Amino acid sequence: MNDKNALTGKHTLVEEGTELTGTIKSSVPIVVMGKIEGDIAGPEIRVAATGVVAGNVKVQRLRSEGELAGVVEAEAVQISGRVRDRTVIRARTLEMTVTSQGMEVQFGACELQVGDEPNKAAAIAAATAAAATPPDAVRKPDETSRKRGTQPPPLG
Amino acid sequence: MAAITRDEVIKRVGRGDKLERIDLKGLDLSKAKLVKGSFERADLDGANLEAADLSQASMRRATLREAYLVGANLAGVNLENADLEGAKLERANLAGANLTRANLEGANLTNANLAGAQLSYAQLAGAKLGRANLANAVMTHAELDEAYLGAVAAPGARLNNTSLAGANLEEAKLAGAILDEATLSRANARGVDFTRTSLVKTNLSGADLTNADLTGADLRYATFARAQLAGARLTGAKAAGLIGTGLPLGAGAVEVIWLDLSPAGDGSQRVENGVLPAVLMTGAVAASAPPGGESRRRYFGRGDVLRNAALQFDAGAQIEIDSLFQDCTIQLGDDTELVIGPSGVLADCEIVGAGNVTIHGKFFEKKSPGIVGLRELHVSGKGAVVAAVTQNPERTRFEFETGCQLRVKIVPTGAPTDKR
Repeated sequence: MNDKNALTGKHTLVEEGTELTGTIKSSVPIVVMGKIEGDIAGPEIRVAATGVVAGNVKVQRLRSEGELAGVVEAEAVQISGRVRDRTVIRARTLEMTVTSQGMEVQFGACELQVGDEPNKAAAIAAATAAAATPPDAVRKPDETSRKRGTQPPPLG
Repeated sequence: MAAITRDEVIKRVGRGDKLERIDLKGLDLSKAKLVKGSFERADLDGANLEAADLSQASMRRATLREAYLVGANLAGVNLENADLEGAKLERANLAGANLTRANLEGANLTNANLAGAQLSYAQLAGAKLGRANLANAVMTHAELDEAYLGAVAAPGARLNNTSLAGANLEEAKLAGAILDEATLSRANARGVDFTRTSLVKTNLSGADLTNADLTGADLRYATFARAQLAGARLTGAKAAGLIGTGLPLGAGAVEVIWLDLSPAGDGSQRVENGVLPAVLMTGAVAASAPPGGESRRRYFGRGDVLRNAALQFDAGAQIEIDSLFQDCTIQLGDDTELVIGPSGVLADCEIVGAGNVTIHGKFFEKKSPGIVGLRELHVSGKGAVVAAVTQNPERTRFEFETGCQLRVKIVPTGAPTDKR
């Protein structure tokens, strides 16, 4: 993350070396390069590799390369840093990848609640219906959807 | 009401008459001498045979439901296919008896002597066998689910392919016994003496092996997923292909100086010290990979359904599942690649081992943790996972794509797992 220049408009910046405890409510994005402990609310929060956010976070978007702890509620979450023990992340969408520097996300004991709750009964019903479909109606597996792993043997 | 009297039964047995198919229901035959009596297909339901002498009797296909046989002498008796459901057999002498395919569900065999008895395919679910003598008994394929076998003495017994799911074997003596391919999932095996016992391909998932003695046991290809090993002794055990517990062992919890990882179990691949916790937690499948390391591919196609299966894929295998799997356990060797395709649904399943898993379909655990010890877990934008995930000792590498659906609890190695 190009921290200070990541946002061109107005934003709240917590600089490296700054530690802030308490409640922050902002109408502009928050960039954290230092440490915030407490309740945070705003449209967006960006946690730099040096940043630490611990507490109750309620934002539209969260992007973190730093350290997260507490309860995070957001529409969209993007993580490529560390997630401490007893952290709960509730999000509509989550993207978690290895950083461009090759850093992996490190998890403590935490909980991820992302998207709608998967429906087991519906999934089983769909798969059972597929089992009842005549073999010639079964489409060829979508080759492009596979990121890695084996390719099935050619059909027929 | 019995067809004949007690005295008549004793008299006719003494004469050598055959009492086949006779109705002796509820008759009092306590302390009767009925040696070598012939009671094939006889109805002895509820009969009182306390301390009776039925040694060498022929009782094939007889029914003895709820019969009272406490202290009876049944040495060498032939009870093949007999129905002894709920029978009281405390302290009975069944040495050398033939109980092949007999129904002993819920029977009480506490302190019974079954030395050398034949119990293959016998139904013993829920039976009580506490302190029974099972030395050299043959119990292959017998069903002993939820049975009580506390403190039984079964040295040299043959229990291959027996089902002992949820059974209580506390303090049992099974030294030198053979339990190959048996199921001991969820069994209470606290303090059991398994020294030099053969447990090849045995399923010990979720078993409590606290303080068990597995010294010199043959554990090749056995499954220990979620098994408790606190205080267990394992020195000299053969462990090639073993599937580890996936649970933290705790400092000094297991007494083990060395393990043998040679596929042949010939002691040629001893491992010691630092390697041992990893072997017991994540398994030793890599050690049993075929020479050359050629990968094997498996594809389970869309529309297929697989239920109640335990699948094991050795190191280097590549698997893709586009089917419905229900109540299945999948054991992955080191760096095994498992892809759950877009149509794949794994419901009430578990995945154990140091493999790499990509989920484009759906995974729902049965018991928590449903995913144990993976090196990598990748969930694509179409994927869904409902599970607790116990990380690999070297930390699992996670990747989640936008759009995935997750109800996931991540448990780092070393932390206790949360029972749902």
